[in-house]
Amino acid sequence: MSEVREKELNSNELENISELEDGEYKKFVDRIVKANREIFVLCVLANKPMCGYDVIKEIFVRCNVFLSQGNVYPILYSLEEEGILRAEFTRGNMRSKLYFIAPEKRETVQKKIDLFANAMESMLFFVKR
Amino acid sequence: MSKGDQMFRDTIKGLDKIIEGDIPNGSIILVTGAEGTLKSSLVFSMISRYLEKNNEFGLYATLEQTKESHLKNMASLGLTTNNALHLFDYSDMRTEWKDNEPDMIKVTEEIIDFYRCEQEKLTVFALDSLNALCSLSNEANFRRSLYYFFSNLRNKGLTSFLIMETPPSGTSLLAYDTGRSEHFLADCVIELGLIEAGEDVKRYIQVRKMRGVNHRLEKNQLVVGEQGISVLGSIYRSI
Repeated sequence: MSEVREKELNSNELENISELEDGEYKKFVDRIVKANREIFVLCVLANKPMCGYDVIKEIFVRCNVFLSQGNVYPILYSLEEEGILRAEFTRGNMRSKLYFIAPEKRETVQKKIDLFANAMESMLFFVKR
Repeated sequence: MSKGDQMFRDTIKGLDKIIEGDIPNGSIILVTGAEGTLKSSLVFSMISRYLEKNNEFGLYATLEQTKESHLKNMASLGLTTNNALHLFDYSDMRTEWKDNEPDMIKVTEEIIDFYRCEQEKLTVFALDSLNALCSLSNEANFRRSLYYFFSNLRNKGLTSFLIMETPPSGTSLLAYDTGRSEHFLADCVIELGLIEAGEDVKRYIQVRKMRGVNHRLEKNQLVVGEQGISVLGSIYRSI
């Protein structure tokens, strides 16, 4: 598990997770991230512009889940076609495209992320009840 | 899967001279030929026109050309695309992962699955080219991988056009020696080539194999005009 993620968890949670880290816990996280990969891509791009490689790396560092190239690049291209993302070549590097959320779509994207977070929270409430 | 209004054989003027019925849905069609024989243009044209009249969706995956460059080439031949045909190029992925290139067979299957989720009616797939896919595969046993790749395309019910570059002799240019297994695994093999007669060089099309469909075996002339690609009569009668 990455340092970034560890810092976000309190010690109790970490203790429980460590017992199952390589098994069930990993499977659940894997399923959540893979089933909602578009949201996770939007989440990382909401923080800063990135190329496809960095999006994959960031999700791996934060969630310890590898979203493969065949899953991430089509999402980036689809979101770009829908006008949600824009892409620019990096300065001095015409071969690497940086994706960022289109300014006029920032609010819509944030709403989508909030809705996802709310859905996850209400599921969590049900599970922990 | 039901047939729409447009049949593949009607997408190219004169193709009905060679094929009696239509290419069955869900078939794997290997389109082979040397450079400059119009492989990409023929496939792009067939799919693009097929989708114009059918309420279906297509995916054209190009491993070596960028989307922009491919569209520019097609436009120079008078070929246009439509919204139902999505072009996916691997250039960003290949540039960013150049030091650790992923297995492109696996990646290609994931890309198809992504677009199948997005578009329920994804029925047609094209890969340009099988040679590039082969050279970018990490698999030690490429022949086995190719078998599963073909099986997966069939299981998904996609009519798949796989472009393969061959030297003029017609032998395989795949990076691995697959013993021409791609020819055996495919349901249809369409060969494109060049014939020289003196100073004259002409392009031809030959349907070498089409499972379940009556077709002629002769080589017919292939030309590009203002209306796009057309099939004329026997090439030997024109030289």
